[in-house]
Amino acid sequence: MPPNAIRKLAPALARHAAALALAFVFLVPLAWIVAASLRQPGLPPPRTIQWLPNPPSWANYLAIFNFPSVPLARYALNSLVVASAAVVLTAVTASWTGLAMALAPARWQARLVMFSIALLLVPAGALWLPRFVLFTWLHLIDSYGALLAPALMGSSPLFVLLFYWTYRRLPAELFESAQLDGAGLLTLWWRLALPLSTATLVAVGILTFLLYWSDFVNPLLFLKTPDLYTLPIGISQLKAMDRNNWPLLLAAAVFMTAPTVALFLVVQRFFLGENKLHL
Amino acid sequence: MLAHTPRRLATLALALVLVAGCAPTPTAAPAAAEVSWMVLGDPAETKSFQAVAAAFEALHPGTTVTVITLASEEDEYFTRLGADLAAGTPADVVYMDYRDAGRYYANGAFQSISAQLAASDLISADDFYPQALNAFQWEGEQMCIPINISSLVTYYNKDLFDAAGLAYPADDWTWEDLLTTAQALTQDTDGDGVVDQFGLGTAAQLIRVLPFIWQNDGEFLDGDQLALDTPQALEALQFFVDLQAKHHVVPGRVEETAQDSQARFENGTLGLFFQSRRVTTAFRSLTAFDWDVAPLPGQAQSATILHSDGLCIPAKAAHPDLAWDLIAFANSVQGQQIMSTTGRTVPSNRGVAESEYFLDPNAKPAHSQVWIDVISGIRPAPVLREWEEIAEHADEEIERAFYGDGSAEEALQAIIQYAGPRLDE
Amino acid sequence: MSASSPRTPTQPAVTAQRWQRQQQAALIGLLLPYVLGALVLVVIPGVLALGLSFSYYDGLSAPSWWGLRNYRMFFIDPLERIAVANSLYFTLLAVPLRVLGALGLALLLRRPGRGVGLYRAAVYLPTVIPDVAYALIWLWVFNPLFGPLNLLLGVLGLPQPAWLADAATAKLVFVFMSLFQIGEGFVVLLAGLQTIPADYADAATVDGAGPVSFFRYITLPLLAPWLILLTVRDLIWSFQYTFTPSLLMTQGDPYHATLFLPLLSFEETFANLRFGMGAAILVVMFACSFALVLAFYAVVRRWTRADAA
Repeated sequence: MPPNAIRKLAPALARHAAALALAFVFLVPLAWIVAASLRQPGLPPPRTIQWLPNPPSWANYLAIFNFPSVPLARYALNSLVVASAAVVLTAVTASWTGLAMALAPARWQARLVMFSIALLLVPAGALWLPRFVLFTWLHLIDSYGALLAPALMGSSPLFVLLFYWTYRRLPAELFESAQLDGAGLLTLWWRLALPLSTATLVAVGILTFLLYWSDFVNPLLFLKTPDLYTLPIGISQLKAMDRNNWPLLLAAAVFMTAPTVALFLVVQRFFLGENKLHL
Repeated sequence: MLAHTPRRLATLALALVLVAGCAPTPTAAPAAAEVSWMVLGDPAETKSFQAVAAAFEALHPGTTVTVITLASEEDEYFTRLGADLAAGTPADVVYMDYRDAGRYYANGAFQSISAQLAASDLISADDFYPQALNAFQWEGEQMCIPINISSLVTYYNKDLFDAAGLAYPADDWTWEDLLTTAQALTQDTDGDGVVDQFGLGTAAQLIRVLPFIWQNDGEFLDGDQLALDTPQALEALQFFVDLQAKHHVVPGRVEETAQDSQARFENGTLGLFFQSRRVTTAFRSLTAFDWDVAPLPGQAQSATILHSDGLCIPAKAAHPDLAWDLIAFANSVQGQQIMSTTGRTVPSNRGVAESEYFLDPNAKPAHSQVWIDVISGIRPAPVLREWEEIAEHADEEIERAFYGDGSAEEALQAIIQYAGPRLDE
Repeated sequence: MSASSPRTPTQPAVTAQRWQRQQQAALIGLLLPYVLGALVLVVIPGVLALGLSFSYYDGLSAPSWWGLRNYRMFFIDPLERIAVANSLYFTLLAVPLRVLGALGLALLLRRPGRGVGLYRAAVYLPTVIPDVAYALIWLWVFNPLFGPLNLLLGVLGLPQPAWLADAATAKLVFVFMSLFQIGEGFVVLLAGLQTIPADYADAATVDGAGPVSFFRYITLPLLAPWLILLTVRDLIWSFQYTFTPSLLMTQGDPYHATLFLPLLSFEETFANLRFGMGAAILVVMFACSFALVLAFYAVVRRWTRADAA
C-alpha cells in the first residue's frame, strides 16, 4: 500500500480499534451476566471465567418464576401496567406543559425554567416521608395512585424542559397563524405541537418507561398488598431468599433488563444514528 | 453490616404510619366470624400455618381464617406490621420473634393475654417449656404464646468428619474440642494454596457470642445493669473472635462476602455451622452428604441462646376473642403437631416436642433430641425496648474484631459504652 | 413567543382583549397541573423536610422544635462526618472522570462512519439497565472470589483486590459503576459537538492549526456551555446516585466505607426513627452539592476571564 494511503487510513483504523475496544468494555459486563445466568443450577460457583457455560441451561429463567412466595410474573405484569400508564400520562402532561411554557410571555418562560431547575435540585430522599403522609391522608397508599401521582405533573421537570426546548425551536409563526385561525390551545397541542415533536415524545416515552420500570423505593414505601408489588421488589425478595444463587439472581436481573434494552435498541437508531444526532 | 439493614425498611412503616398520625381508616364491618393471621415464613412453613388455619376452620364451622403471608424477608414483614399498627388495622394474630418484641411491648402495640391463658380450657401455662413462655413476658404480663423453643446448635457435615478421621462432636465437647476439630477440618482440598474448606461457619453477632459468654460463667445483664465488664466475658469474646482472627478456621471477610457460610455448608465445603432450627427445612433437601446436629460446645457450663417466635394479639385487633381461640388452637397439641411437620420448629408444647412428631426417626437430623436436651441450659437474649439498636452496634464491633480489624478488648468496651446508657427505659 | 395576538387593523379592540385573556387562561390551565403538582409533590414536601430538620420527631408524639441540634450532630457524631467525606470523595472522583470520559467518547465517536451507530449504542447501553438489576450485576462482577473481574485479573496475573469487602476499594466500586453510565453525558456532548459548524474546521486547517490547538481554541470554548451543563448536573446527581447501590450492595459496609449521605439519612429516618436528623442530613447534602456547583462556577468564570485576557 502506498505510504500516503496508510497515513490517511491509520487514524481511521486507530479510531475504529479504540471504538471497538470501548464498545467491548461497555458490553462485557452484560455479556458476563448473561453467561452466568445460563449456568446449570446446583453447581458450585465457577473457578474460571466462563464466556459461555458448557452446557448452557435455561433452567434459571424458568426457576425465577417458580418461587411460590414471589410471583415474579405477576410483579412483572404490574410493573408493565404502571410503566405504561406512566408513559401515557407523562407524554400528555409533559408535552402540554412544555407547550404552554413555550407560548408563555418571555418573563414567565424564564421563571418557569428556573422553577423547573430548582425542582430538579431537591433530593429525592427528602420527599419520601412527607409524600407518605400525604398519600396516607389521601387514601392513596397501597394503590397505584401513589406511584403514578408524579406522572400527573410530567414525571420529571427534565421532561417538561425537553418539550419546552423542542417547542421553542419551532417557528413562532406556526402557532400564531393557527391561533389566528381560531385554534384553541389544546387543538394547537394535539394537531400541531405533538406531531412536530415525535422525536422528543419517543425520547421522553422511553425515559419515562425506564424511570417507572426501575423504580424501587416508591413501590417499596407505598405498596402493601403483595398482589400489587412491582418487579424491583420481587427481585430484591429473590435476593433475600436465595442470596448466593447467582445464576438465578442474574437470570432475574437479565429478565428485568431485557425490555429496557430491547426498547432502547429499537429506537436508538434514530438518536444515535450514523449521521446527525436527532435531538 | 452483613445482615441487618433490611430490617430497617421494616421499621419504616412503624415510623411512617405513626407519622401519619391516626388517619383513621374505615374498618370493615365485623363479619360473622372472621379472624386474620399475619405470618412470616418460607413456603413450607407458610403451608403449615395454612394447614393449622384450615384445621381451625374445620373445628369452628362458620369461621374464616385469613392467613396473610408475606415474602420471607423479615424487614418487609416489620415494615408492613408497623404500617398496619400505625394505621390501626393490624391483623388479629401476629407472628413475632421474642427479640424484636420489646419495642412493640413498650409502645403498647400488643395486648396482654395472661387472663386468657389462665382461663383457657385448651392450653395452660404448664403445657409449655417455661424458658419459652417466659421470654414473651413483659412487666409481669404474658404477651404472646411461643410456638417454638429453638436454640443455637452445631450443624455438622458427617462426610467431612469421616474423611478427616474425626469423631463426631460429643454432647459434652468443649471449646478446645471445637478449636481442634475446626482446625482439622480447615483444609486446602485442591492443593492450590488457598483454603477452600473451612472448619466452622458462624455469623459474627452478639446473639452468637452470648452463649459463649454464658458458658464461661459471664453475664450480659445482672438484674438491670450491664455486667459485661468482666474477665469471663472478655475471655469468651476473645475465644470467639480468635476463631477467625487468629486461627482462621472461619471464612474471612472476603470469603464470607463472596459466599456466605450457609451456602458453603450446603455446598459441602464447611464442617461445622452454628445456627438454630430454622435451617433444618432447607438442609433436609441436601442430598450430597450426610449431616447431623450437636449441642454447642461448653466450657465452665453448657448454655445456649433461645430462638423463639410467638403469636401475639395487637391491642387494636378487630377480633381479639377469636384471635385468642386461634392462638390457643395453634399451640394446642393438635396445632403444634401440624406446625412441626415441616421440621422448621422445635415445638414449645412439651407433649409434642417429646413425641415422634418432632423426634421422627426418619427425618433429619437424626439427633433432633439435642434441642430437647439443651432446654435446661437455654437462656434468652434480654427483652428490651432498645435491643435491636444495641444488638446492631454490638454486631458491628464484634465483626470488627472477628475479621481482625480491632481487638476483642476494644470491641467489648465499645459495646459496654453503647449499651450501658440504653438499658434504662 | 408572546401570547398576545397580532391584531389586524379591522379587529375590534374588545374582542382582541378578550381573546388575549382567553389565551392566557388557557395557558394557565395547561400549566396548572404541573405547577400545582410540583407544589404538592415537591415544594411542600421539600419545605416540610426542611422544617423537620430543625425538629425532633419520632412518629410517636408531635414534632418538637430543636433548633440546630440536628445539625450539631455533624460535629459530634463521627458517622455524619464519615458520610460527608464519603459523598465528597465519590463526587470529586466520579464527576471529573465521568465528564472527561463522556467528552473523550463524544470526540471519538462523533464522526459518521460505518458502525459508529453500533458503538454509540454500546456505550449508551449500560445506562438503560434498571437500578436494581444494575446493582446485582456489579455485586456479582465484583465478587472477590467468584466474580468474573477478579477471575480475569487472576488470569492476567494481576492482583485481585477484595473490592466490596475492603474499606479502601469499596468506594472505588461505586465510582466504577458510575463510569459505565456516562451514556447520557456522551449523548449531550455529541449533540454539542454537532453544533460546531463544519466550516470552522475548514477555516482552521487553512490557517494551519493542528488538531490539538483546534480542539483547545475552537472546540472546547464552543463546547463549554454543554460541558458546564453536564458538570453541574453531575455534581448534583452524584450525591443522590449512591443510594440504591449502597442500599442493595453493601448497606454501608465495610465499616462505613460506603456509608453515603442518602443512605445515612434513610437509616436515621427509618431505622432509628429520627426523622428530624434524617431531614437535616438531606439538607446538608443539598448544601454540599450547591456549594460545589458554586465553586465550579467560580472556577469557570475565572478561566473564561483568563482566556479573554
